[in-house]
Amino acid sequence: MKKLDHPQLKETLYYEQLPNGLQVYLLPKPGFQKTYATFTTKYGSIDNTFQREGQEKHQVPDGIAHFLEHKMFEQESGEDVFQQFARQGAAANAFTSFTRTAYLFSCTDHTMENLLTLLDFVQEPYFTDQNVEKEKGIIGQEIKMYDDNPDWRSYFGLIEAFYQNHPVKIDIAGTVESISKITKETLYDCYHTFYHPSNMLLFVVGGIEAEKTIQLIRENQAAKKFDPPAKIDRFYPGESNAVSEAKKIMKLSVQTPKCLMGYKEKNTEVNRTGTDRLKQELATQICLDAMFSTSSDFYQSLYDDGIIDDTFGFDYSLEQGYGFTMFGGDTHQPEELIKRIQEEVPRRLSTGITQEEFNRIQKKRIGASLRSLNSLEWIANQFTSYRFQDADLFDIIPTLEKLTLDDVNERLRNHFQPEQFAVSLVLPK
Amino acid sequence: MSFATFQTVSLGNIRLHICPSDKFKTTTFSAFITNSLQSDSVTKNALLPNVLSRGTRSYPTTVALRQKFNELYGAGSFGDVFKRGERQVIQFGMDLANETYLQDAPSLLEEGIRLFCEIILDPFAENNQFHPAFVEAEKKNLKQRIDSLQDDKIRYAAERCVQTMCEGEPYSLYTYGNAEDIAAIDAKSLYDHYHEILDRSPIDLYCVGDVDSEEVKTLFAKYFDDKMQKATRAEVPFATVSHHVDKVKMAVDRLDVNQGKLNMGCRTQISIRDEAYPALLMYNGILGGFAHSKLFMNVREKESLAYYCSSSIESHKGLLFIQSGIEEKNLERAIEIIKEQLTVMKNGEITDRELEQTKATLSNQLREGQDRAFELIGFHFQSVLSGKSRTLEELLQKIDAITKEDIKKVAEQVELDTIYSLRGKEREKQ
Repeated sequence: MKKLDHPQLKETLYYEQLPNGLQVYLLPKPGFQKTYATFTTKYGSIDNTFQREGQEKHQVPDGIAHFLEHKMFEQESGEDVFQQFARQGAAANAFTSFTRTAYLFSCTDHTMENLLTLLDFVQEPYFTDQNVEKEKGIIGQEIKMYDDNPDWRSYFGLIEAFYQNHPVKIDIAGTVESISKITKETLYDCYHTFYHPSNMLLFVVGGIEAEKTIQLIRENQAAKKFDPPAKIDRFYPGESNAVSEAKKIMKLSVQTPKCLMGYKEKNTEVNRTGTDRLKQELATQICLDAMFSTSSDFYQSLYDDGIIDDTFGFDYSLEQGYGFTMFGGDTHQPEELIKRIQEEVPRRLSTGITQEEFNRIQKKRIGASLRSLNSLEWIANQFTSYRFQDADLFDIIPTLEKLTLDDVNERLRNHFQPEQFAVSLVLPK
Repeated sequence: MSFATFQTVSLGNIRLHICPSDKFKTTTFSAFITNSLQSDSVTKNALLPNVLSRGTRSYPTTVALRQKFNELYGAGSFGDVFKRGERQVIQFGMDLANETYLQDAPSLLEEGIRLFCEIILDPFAENNQFHPAFVEAEKKNLKQRIDSLQDDKIRYAAERCVQTMCEGEPYSLYTYGNAEDIAAIDAKSLYDHYHEILDRSPIDLYCVGDVDSEEVKTLFAKYFDDKMQKATRAEVPFATVSHHVDKVKMAVDRLDVNQGKLNMGCRTQISIRDEAYPALLMYNGILGGFAHSKLFMNVREKESLAYYCSSSIESHKGLLFIQSGIEEKNLERAIEIIKEQLTVMKNGEITDRELEQTKATLSNQLREGQDRAFELIGFHFQSVLSGKSRTLEELLQKIDAITKEDIKKVAEQVELDTIYSLRGKEREKQ
């Protein structure tokens, strides 16, 4: 087991890759009652066309990664695994994103038992025709719940406006129609491809002792048989730089219109890994902060003119193969908001971000990263997400400290180009 | 492992609660101003934290104030209101980086406390009124927030259930007030109201972090000096809890939705002040608090009717709410199953396993709160607010000792009061 010290942050991370390929990271947090663990596969909703070495190529129904996540909780005993976690006092859950599926628990007692339960249930799938059918009703209701959620609809509307072909534009849960085609056989195909330990990462953070914990994990994994690791090819359709549609409008039962806007990354900007990727993300966030945060003159003028309210926010997503900024919120004047944005961004491109702004926002983001380190959930999930892109969570603060004004202004001019801009509007019916 | 404890000191008639802890990388502050929940002040109280967050004497513009936060390494700061029983509490919070973890950073503590206090005590004001532009912008923002409630169908249905159930009781008021009352508020009337509550309402200050208690006390005393001595602070009465139901109320709203919502409200007759409160927590846990609970198992897992079906309690008013998202054609079936579960609880049909699982998960939930500074503060403030001191150790011991008989006794007191559903628009007849 390797020991990685971060003295400035007073954190020590332990790492080991097991013989079956599983990557294990442990972060003991003295003084914490709680332990939080995530067992994550690098497999999300975008991985709908793939080939496992030596097997045929599969194209699977939309929403299957999420469906599989639901079905993992089923066990051969007939008891779902929530019951066992509950007996051991743990709160268990799971989530599926575009690129990851994570199983997790938090607990303050019986930590080692819970850890074994987590490893075992994720590594023992049990799908039957009957339990697959049962889930279609439940997930159907989950899909309908999101259909009524205007924030979710405007978020997906903008991704659909950005992307012509990339599967990021497909709703993570799929549709009632697409999930109707899911069978236990396709679930097993997906499972055997993506849930091999060599495609997974276990992160445990909180009130644990590193040596005892790794020993337990080693023994548990050594006792199980796995196929040798196989290479996984993932196929994504070609995507042009251009946005799919500049403006997408949806009508829903809402009182206040929602306006979400953003810029799609060009293909040259979505393949960085490691520290370069981190630097791109942090520089983009500083640009967004300078233009749109509550400490900007622009935000305050929109707010005081009654164009936006305090739901206005911004975000940046970057993964291998896609990336975009998003900003917006509730507004009764969506056209005026779009106009003001389209005036402001080019203005900022020509003036650039000032040294004073940069210094201030750099400090703010360092403080915010430090605050995030209070959250065990954030550490485990963010660490895993970065690790899957060969980046390191603990490089955030050093990378922020090394960023320069030139880096940020270069990013500003590179990303916020008018032809990459798109809008998603949710309007009252 | 022992639990964090707060040391409470009096600064005149203001209480300061400090919990030194080195496990967080930030220092967290909160201030709570407690008011009774009343229709003539609910909207003003909701507006206040937003207006106060707009500018102070030293930082008279919002941009200047927000930039000051950035300079303090992105101190997180918020002002908000929440409802506990029939009280409306104004809360300010701040989260400040601990300079130990930063390279070449100066001490931030005093500057942070000074700014925190200035937002609460020393707003940008002229001629005995708030800056009118701030008030007008925040009125618009509040109006939009109240109007937008309907856009979040889950929250909207929950609020409509409360309004139906508690009609005529202060608890029916929405946390953020009434849209119709906003227009009449102006910079002067709000400023007068602000001074009244600052002088009359109970104030509790909190600090959690790797701090020296004496230093924190000295700093808060320095900046709160003016407010500590002169005022007399009236106790705010606790809500009426006991309420017997003659007839179950039914209410239906129709909106253009894909999925219906079902919300059911019950009177438990038990509040956080009562000895039976730990048994009520267990009751709620077994009924619908967790993924192993009766509601989740029966509505979701057995019948596939819903993605979510759960229950929660309001501990200061003695209410219990059940919520679910249900296809309209299955609403009657869901109501039937939920009523069955309430009856099952009344009959004391609880398995050993449900008892054991719920004790374990409930205790875990309570212990986990120890690792988040704002939750640590929230838990302690509950006891201040209720006047019922119950440490986490005591609560955990009580939960551990709960029997099925104790839970059955709670169940016998729970009365279904309201069944609310949100349904799709009726199709027009051809």
